[in-house]
Amino acid sequence: MKRTRGLLAVSSAAVLAAALAGCGSSGSNGGGGGAAGNGQSIVLGTTDPVTAVDPAGSYDFGSWNIQYNIFQRLMQVAPGQSTPEPDAAKSCAYTDPKTVKCVLRPGLKFSNGDPLTSQDVKYSLTRNIEINNPNGSSVLLGSITAPTPANKPNAPHKVAAGAIETPDKNTVVFHLNAPDQTFLEVLTTATTSIVDHKVFPADKLLPDAKAIGSGPFTLAQYKAGQQAVFEANAKYQGPDTPKVSKVFVQYFNDPAPLKSAISTNQIDIAWRTLSPTDLKDLAGNSKVSVIRGKGSEFRYWVWQLSTPVGKQLAVRQAVAQLIDRNAIAKNAYDGTVTPSYSIVPSFFGSSNDAFKTKYGAPSVAKAKAILQKAGVKTPVTIKLGYTPSHYGPNTVDEANELQDQLNRSGLFKATTASAEWTQYQTLYKQGAYDLFILGWYPDYLDADDYLTPFLLKGGFYANNYDNPQVDKMLSQERATTNKAQRDQIIGQIQNTTANDVPMIPSWTGQNVAVAGKNISGVDTTLDPSYIFRFWVLNKK
Amino acid sequence: MSAAGGSLPRYLVQRVLLVIPMILVVLTLVFLLLRVAPGDPVSAMFGGKLDAAAMAQRRHQLGLDQPLYVQYFQYLGEVFRLRFGHTLSDNRPVIDVIRDNGGATLTLTLGAFLFALLIGIPLGLFAGRRRDSASDVVVRLFGVASYAAPIFWVGLMLVLLVSPTGWPTFGIASAETQFTVPTRTHILLVDAILSGNGSAILDVLQHHVLPCFTLGLLLSGVFIRLVRVNLLHTLNADYVEAARARGIRERYVIRRHAFRNALVPVVTVLGLQVALTLGGAILTERTFNWPGLGNQLFVYITQRDYAAIQGLVTFFGVVVVVVSLLVDIVNALIDPRIRY
Repeated sequence: MKRTRGLLAVSSAAVLAAALAGCGSSGSNGGGGGAAGNGQSIVLGTTDPVTAVDPAGSYDFGSWNIQYNIFQRLMQVAPGQSTPEPDAAKSCAYTDPKTVKCVLRPGLKFSNGDPLTSQDVKYSLTRNIEINNPNGSSVLLGSITAPTPANKPNAPHKVAAGAIETPDKNTVVFHLNAPDQTFLEVLTTATTSIVDHKVFPADKLLPDAKAIGSGPFTLAQYKAGQQAVFEANAKYQGPDTPKVSKVFVQYFNDPAPLKSAISTNQIDIAWRTLSPTDLKDLAGNSKVSVIRGKGSEFRYWVWQLSTPVGKQLAVRQAVAQLIDRNAIAKNAYDGTVTPSYSIVPSFFGSSNDAFKTKYGAPSVAKAKAILQKAGVKTPVTIKLGYTPSHYGPNTVDEANELQDQLNRSGLFKATTASAEWTQYQTLYKQGAYDLFILGWYPDYLDADDYLTPFLLKGGFYANNYDNPQVDKMLSQERATTNKAQRDQIIGQIQNTTANDVPMIPSWTGQNVAVAGKNISGVDTTLDPSYIFRFWVLNKK
Repeated sequence: MSAAGGSLPRYLVQRVLLVIPMILVVLTLVFLLLRVAPGDPVSAMFGGKLDAAAMAQRRHQLGLDQPLYVQYFQYLGEVFRLRFGHTLSDNRPVIDVIRDNGGATLTLTLGAFLFALLIGIPLGLFAGRRRDSASDVVVRLFGVASYAAPIFWVGLMLVLLVSPTGWPTFGIASAETQFTVPTRTHILLVDAILSGNGSAILDVLQHHVLPCFTLGLLLSGVFIRLVRVNLLHTLNADYVEAARARGIRERYVIRRHAFRNALVPVVTVLGLQVALTLGGAILTERTFNWPGLGNQLFVYITQRDYAAIQGLVTFFGVVVVVVSLLVDIVNALIDPRIRY
C-alpha cells in the first residue's frame, strides 16, 4: 500500500512539475510557419463530416469546403454571384455548344512550388473519372466520360476519347459528349479541383493529410473527425488573398456541443448545422451574431404516382391548392426558411413562381372545386411520409403542419408515418406513402440542377412520373446556348410541373452562420453556393 | 478440487481458449445484425442524391452486391489476419481509426476510474461508518442517483453549469494545442507531457476534467454501494471483534482492519466495470464532442459503415473479453477455490 501511494505521489509530482515547467511557454507553430496573412487565427466549428480531402474521393459539403479553400478550379463562384467566373483560368468559354476552351492564368504554382499547367487540369479530371471512387463525384463529369456499355454497367470508367485536349501548357479544350450548357458550372465544383500530377497518384486516393493545392490556403494539419488546420498559402497567385493567417476547423458530431461552444465564444464561428430553435436562442445571445444569407437548400413534397391516391391528378392539384407555405415556414421553422413556389428557387432569374401563378393563395373552396370536378369522393385518405432526423428535427413539425392543414380543410383525412433515412428510401420507392418529403442541395448553381435530377424519367426518387414532353424540354434547355431561349424553356418546364404536380415545392433554406462579434466577412460568403470562403474572413 | 495443485494452468488455458468462440460470436452477431437492418452504406450516404443505376454501381464497387456468405468469410479473413479493412464512409484503415481515437477513449476511461475511486471510496467508507444515520441515507441516495441518472443528461447539465465560467466544455484540447503538440503516442495527454509544453499539458488536463468527472460519476455510484456494504460486512467480522476485544482503539481498528479488507472486492469489480465504462464512454464522448472510439462508432453507425462498425465493435468486444480474462486470472491466483 505504501509503495502504491509512493508511486502515485511520484507520478503526480512528475506531471505537475512538467506542467509548471512549461507554464507560460507559448505554443510553437508546428505547422511549418512562414504563413501569409495578418497573423490572426479563426476557429470554425461545423457538424459536416469529411469523406476525403482528395477531390476524387468525395461528394459532400465537409470535404468540398476543404477543397474549395486549398485547391483552385478553372472556374469559381464569386461571393453572392451565381454565374461562373474565371479562377485558375484566365478565360473559359464555349466555342460551340459541344466545345469549351479554357486558358490558364500564366505562372500559377502549387504550394510546393510545382508549376500548375494544363497537364495538371487534364490529369485531375482524368484520374477523378478513372478512379471512380464509390464516395466520389465523378458522376458530375458525365459530359466528358466515355459511355458505359449497356451490358457492362460495372465496367471501369474512362474519359471519352479526345474529350480533353491540351494544345499547350496553358490551354485546355473540352469536347463534350453532347451539348451541355451546365459544363461551366460543373467546372466550379470541387470535384474539378486541380491537383499536382507529381503528388496525387493516378489510380488511388492520396492520404488526406498529404494534399497539396494551389488555392488561397494550405492544409497544415488534418486529423480525421477532429480538426483541420489551414494556413494562408504564401505561394498563392490569385485575387482571393487571405486576410487571416490561420483557420482551424473543428468537427462536431452533434449540434448541442457546437451550440454550447459558439455561445460561450470557445469557437469564433459555427456554420452548419444548428437547428432553427438553436438559432432563435442564439439570436438573443449578446456575445454572438446570427448571420443569414441566401441559401439553396430546397425542401419539397413528392407524390408517389404508383399509389391509388398519388396517381389522381385532381388529388395532387388539390393538395397544391391547399398547402400554406407561409404557415409551414412560420410554425415549423420559426421563419428561418423562405416559402418556395417553384421547382426552381427564386434566386435564379429563370424562376417563375409557377405554383403561385396557377394556384394563388391557399383556398379550401378552390381545392374542393378541383376534387368535385374530377368526381373524387371526399374526404380523401392520404398518408404523408417523413424521416425524423436526416433533414433535421423540424421535419416532423413540417409533416404535422401539413397534416393539420389538410385535415382542417375537411377534404382530406391525412395521417403521418416516419422511418429512419435508410429505411425511408426503400419505403417511399415501394409506395408506402402517397406524399413524402425530401430535401435537395444543388451540386452547382444552375436551374437545371433542380430540374433534370427530379423530372427526367421519374427522377432519382423513382416516383413514376414520366412526361416525354418534359424529358424533351430538359434536353433542349441543356443544349440551348441562347440564355433568353433557355430561360423560356425552363419556364415552360416549371409551368408543366405546376400543372402535373409530380411534387410540391415547400421552401428554400437560408445559409446561416453564428459568429463572434469580432469576426467579419462571414456575411460575404453566406450565399446559395454554400462555399465557405476562408479568405474573406477577418478578426478584429 | 483434490488435484488443485495442477488445475491453475489448465484453467487458464481453458479460459484463453474460450475467448476465441466468444469473439467469433460477437463478430458474427455484429455482421448479421448490420445486414438485417434496412439500408446500407450507399443508401445512407447517397440516397436522395443519385439514381438507382449509380447507387447499384457503388454497391458493386464496395462488394455489397456479393452473397452474404462471401462477405462474411471475407470479413473473417480480414479479422484473422488482424486487419479490419477500410472504412467505407471515409476510406481510412479501421486500424488507424482505433489508433487515432483509442488514446482519447483510454484517457477518458482512466480519468473516469480515477474520479470514481476518489468519489466512491471515501463516500462508501463514510456511509458505512455511519450506518443508518442521515448522512448515510444522503450518500446512499447520491450513489443511486449517480448510477441511475442518464449520463448524457448529467453531461449536458454540467456543460450548462460550467460553460459561463469559461472552462472548456468540449473536445480533448484547444485547437492550437492539438495543432502544436506533435503526435507520438496518439495519446494526447502523453504527447503533451512528452513535448514538455506546460500550457499544452494544462490545456489538455482542463479539457479532461468535465468528461472524466461525468463518466466517473456513473461509476462512483457502484463503488459507493460496494464499499459501504463491504465495510459493514468487515465491521462485523470476527477478526474486527477480536481486535476490539483486545482493547485496540476503534479508529485504529477501522483504519487498519476493516477499511483495507473492505477495499479488496473493489479491485475485482474494477475489471468488471470496463464494459459499463465503454458503454458510458460512447454517450460521454458524444456529449463532450470527445474524439474517442465511442464518438467515431456513433458516426459510423449513422452512416451504416459496415466495415467500421464491425471493426470497432469487435475491438470493443476483444477489450471486454481480454479484461474479463485478466480479472478471472487474477481471481484464480488470489482465490484457489475458483480453479474449477
